[in-house]
Amino acid sequence: MEAWLEKLNGELAEVIRLARRSLVHIRTSRRGAGSATIVGGDGLLVTNAHVVNRREAEVTLGDGQTRPAHILAYDEAADLAAFKVEGEPLPAIGLGDSGSLQPGELVVALGDPWGIAGAATAGIVIGVGAEWPEMPPSGREWVIANLHLRPGNSGGPLINSRGDLVGINTMMTGPDVGVAIPAHVIHAFLQRSELEELAVMV
Amino acid sequence: MGMLSDLSQALAGAVEAAGGGVVRVDGRRRIPASGIVWSADGMVITAHHVVESDEEIRVGLPDGEMVPAELVGRDHTTDLALLRTEARDLSVPRWMETDELKVGHLVLALGRPGSSVLATMGIVSALDGAWRTPAGGMLDQYLQTDVVMYPGFSGGPLVDVEGRMIGLNTSGLLRGVSLTIGVKSLREVAEMLLTHGRVRRGYLGVGAQPVRLPAGAPSEVGLLLVSVESESPAEKGGLILGDVITGIEDDPVQTLDDLMAGLSGDRIGQPIRLTVLRGGVVTQISLIPGERPEWRPRWKRGSRN
Repeated sequence: MEAWLEKLNGELAEVIRLARRSLVHIRTSRRGAGSATIVGGDGLLVTNAHVVNRREAEVTLGDGQTRPAHILAYDEAADLAAFKVEGEPLPAIGLGDSGSLQPGELVVALGDPWGIAGAATAGIVIGVGAEWPEMPPSGREWVIANLHLRPGNSGGPLINSRGDLVGINTMMTGPDVGVAIPAHVIHAFLQRSELEELAVMV
Repeated sequence: MGMLSDLSQALAGAVEAAGGGVVRVDGRRRIPASGIVWSADGMVITAHHVVESDEEIRVGLPDGEMVPAELVGRDHTTDLALLRTEARDLSVPRWMETDELKVGHLVLALGRPGSSVLATMGIVSALDGAWRTPAGGMLDQYLQTDVVMYPGFSGGPLVDVEGRMIGLNTSGLLRGVSLTIGVKSLREVAEMLLTHGRVRRGYLGVGAQPVRLPAGAPSEVGLLLVSVESESPAEKGGLILGDVITGIEDDPVQTLDDLMAGLSGDRIGQPIRLTVLRGGVVTQISLIPGERPEWRPRWKRGSRN
């Protein structure tokens, strides 16, 4: 293999390895389960409201260890929820600048599609914003990416080439199109939930 | 993470470089589609299947302004349409003029179904020579990619990693396949649409199928006429059921493609000589090709791309 291609592969694997430390599995009931993303060193995590209930949750870390988590904020309209994981601090991923994300930029989504822990899928940003002619107008902003989300990916991180969090994977609009809530919308959610100071900003 | 970020920046840079040549095309009831700036003085090329009506077409310029557009012409056989707007000083895209493209190259599909440019990425899946589309159009190359044709991407460009446009993407030529019409064919069709408002093709008014000929015939294969329309150029020229066409002017005819190639637009109204096998005897028949009747759209089955 060309040396630079090998280097590129190495960098991609490293970005994924680092981000995966902030990915956890979350479960609130027999049916409600998905991915979640640690965004604060204090055990602050963010996930989609649709994968959890308004109650206590159990998270499973990458090493298989489980810990209790309690709810901090829940916003059904924004499809976001915040929890605090009990115990030792966990490695947090930094909230990146999704406002300057451009079509064509590389992104990687991490999560537990179909229960496969820590799976990665890579692609590029199709576009960012609230104007999507093929979707019913809602005024909500999205990052839309050319990658493969599947059930179980919801709540997991969407990262850029530097490993910063640019979105929370939320749904798919086709087999090859993933939809994520942009990091700046997550930031606003944490702000109005008065959790902002707990998160890591980059 | 230097190299990964460099690649990411390069891809976003290619989208930005080419994005100024990508426009929005509002020509159908459902979601808008995309088009490519064809000339600085307001011409836009797009996919025929996204322009459902000949009137009330609008084009969204890269700066966000929506302007009315007039249909210069359309060709359903190559799925291309040419539009004219009053816009001036448009940014003309840089086209890839070489044949350096290979299977496996990274490519981007761009579209502008809204006000901003969108992109998907893939690789060149298949690359081959000239082919005839199911609707009968001739394209200079077969270029298939695995780029996702996001809703509204038809009519937009395929772009290389340097931001050069390779061709126009359409999902209207073959179902479920992302095909790109290369710049050479775009220029040929656009030229004809500008001159005639349509791609003119010669017309005989026959139905034919290839048949193997007995030993002793002038060629191994010919085209057997299985129908001859009344009042058609073929009937007027004296062709009858059962004739086998083996040549048009000095070129052999063995397939329907050979016959179609021999009936190019410049032969309309000009006498041509057909070599025909009739009852085992080779004869020459002179006739005057007409123009193939214009195709009228039926908008029953829409494509969302």
